[in-house]
Amino acid sequence: MIVKDFEREFEALARAYERAGGDVSKFLDKRIASVIISGDRVIGLNGVEGVVLKPSKIESGVQVDMEIGAGVVLEHPVHVCTGFLERKGYQRVIFNITLRRNAKAIFTAHCVFPWAEEFTHDALMNVRLEEGAWMEYHDEHMHSETGSINLITRSIADVGMGAFFRNTFTLVKTRVGKLKVFMEASLKEKAIAELFTKVKATKDDDVEVRETIKLDGEGARGLAKTNAVALDRAKVSVVNEMYGNSPNTRGHVECVEIAKGEGVEVSALPILIVKNDLSELTHEASIGRVNVKQLQTLMAKGLTEEEATELIIKGILT
Amino acid sequence: MLALVDVWYESDGKAILKNINMTFEPGKVYAILGTNGAGKSTLAYVIMGLEGYRPTRGRILLDGEDITDFPVTERAKRGITLMWQEPARFTGLRLKDYLTLGGKNKVSDEEIKRALEMVGLNPHLYMERLVDEKLSGGERKRVELASVILLKPKYVVLDEPDSGIDIMSVDMIDHVVEELAEKGSCVVLITHREEIALKADHSYLLCRGIVLKEGHPGEIVSFYKASCDRCDHPNEPTERIDEGLRA
Repeated sequence: MIVKDFEREFEALARAYERAGGDVSKFLDKRIASVIISGDRVIGLNGVEGVVLKPSKIESGVQVDMEIGAGVVLEHPVHVCTGFLERKGYQRVIFNITLRRNAKAIFTAHCVFPWAEEFTHDALMNVRLEEGAWMEYHDEHMHSETGSINLITRSIADVGMGAFFRNTFTLVKTRVGKLKVFMEASLKEKAIAELFTKVKATKDDDVEVRETIKLDGEGARGLAKTNAVALDRAKVSVVNEMYGNSPNTRGHVECVEIAKGEGVEVSALPILIVKNDLSELTHEASIGRVNVKQLQTLMAKGLTEEEATELIIKGILT
Repeated sequence: MLALVDVWYESDGKAILKNINMTFEPGKVYAILGTNGAGKSTLAYVIMGLEGYRPTRGRILLDGEDITDFPVTERAKRGITLMWQEPARFTGLRLKDYLTLGGKNKVSDEEIKRALEMVGLNPHLYMERLVDEKLSGGERKRVELASVILLKPKYVVLDEPDSGIDIMSVDMIDHVVEELAEKGSCVVLITHREEIALKADHSYLLCRGIVLKEGHPGEIVSFYKASCDRCDHPNEPTERIDEGLRA
């Protein structure tokens, strides 16, 4: 629950969190596991049965070790809010998440930096999923409109035998600033991983996405997907990487990037490496201008080019 | 009334449509027949005013207004629409958002449900589906027909609505066309299928970009079956016609 003396800070964060699409009531519900971080402090924490949350202070930030016990299936998603309410600064966050055998949990994370101007957020998530575990981590960001945020978010997942891992990163409502999203998952036998990044970059935003899946165990399957829209002078560079290291593995990488604006720059680089002749990897990419046929289809129904473009972009970022 | 008056369309110096004269009236159904490469889809794009399909000669008139230079959106706002032979697919766009054009086409959920049912799609199963690659060709066609129904157009060109749809569903297309016409829409059907063409009020037969024949659908279909189906010079009409047009 909310730590004493931090109620006012929580209220300020809550307002920004709600603007980001979060539901503050979840943090006040005792049935829901939650973590609230503001700056370099944990200002709210709620564990539920089967969930162990251990926060600790690190230099310029916070580390939280989270463990879901064997066989525990969480009815409600774990809510994580990471905020920074100052204008300038540096914040480091480390999440070490372990799901024991056959545990199942969904994490809903919101990062809100509503007033940040000269700010760096450096996040690292280490995930370990034991055999048969199921985890989804949905991370949505809400920044300020200054575009001067530096954001580095890295996730490294070890997905055990028959386990499932879905990791999504979304930043589509506000300016991005400088963003680096690095997701990596190593999969054991029959494990499945889906990595998905959605970003809308405007003005002089600069985005780098790298999603890597290593299909190490026999029968493992992976999907690395990025949808990005770059407007104005924004730059978006995407690398989707898949390694077929074992027999009967299947992987697909997919990238959709729309570029619109003078000075805009987008790139997509699929890397597929097969080290076993029974592995099958595929890729698909579409980058550049808005698809003409899609545009004309919508315009033939009465939308202007701008309205049609907006609807197409909305689909890509939803 | 929508009229094409001496419309020519050239691409890379080659005439794709020549001296096209056609009139389309609200509430009526027209069938456009022709072998592959006759210029049927090009005609559809010229009517819709797609980018790169402006007539090189001639005029397109809508109720007397010259819309030859109007872009797609302006034509659509005046009630003209087109269903592509292979409709586009979208990333992440929900069927409901597609059918309502992101809320711009004010139609009720009931209307959407009815349109989907008319084209043989269960609203409960499809409303939240994405209009993406996961829909089969036939499903995508049905979605497009539902979209046309909801647009309530004055003029709609259906470019081979039956292709990719199983033969059992031809009745569904008939039913949609009938309803559109009953409600006052003019339907221009581009088709190869005899049973669909025969339902039209009037037919045009295209061959190498010219109107080779026009008239009652029965007559045109008979000619098409007798001459075009077995044609040993497809899209090579007689010299007389070709020379006459050049003159």
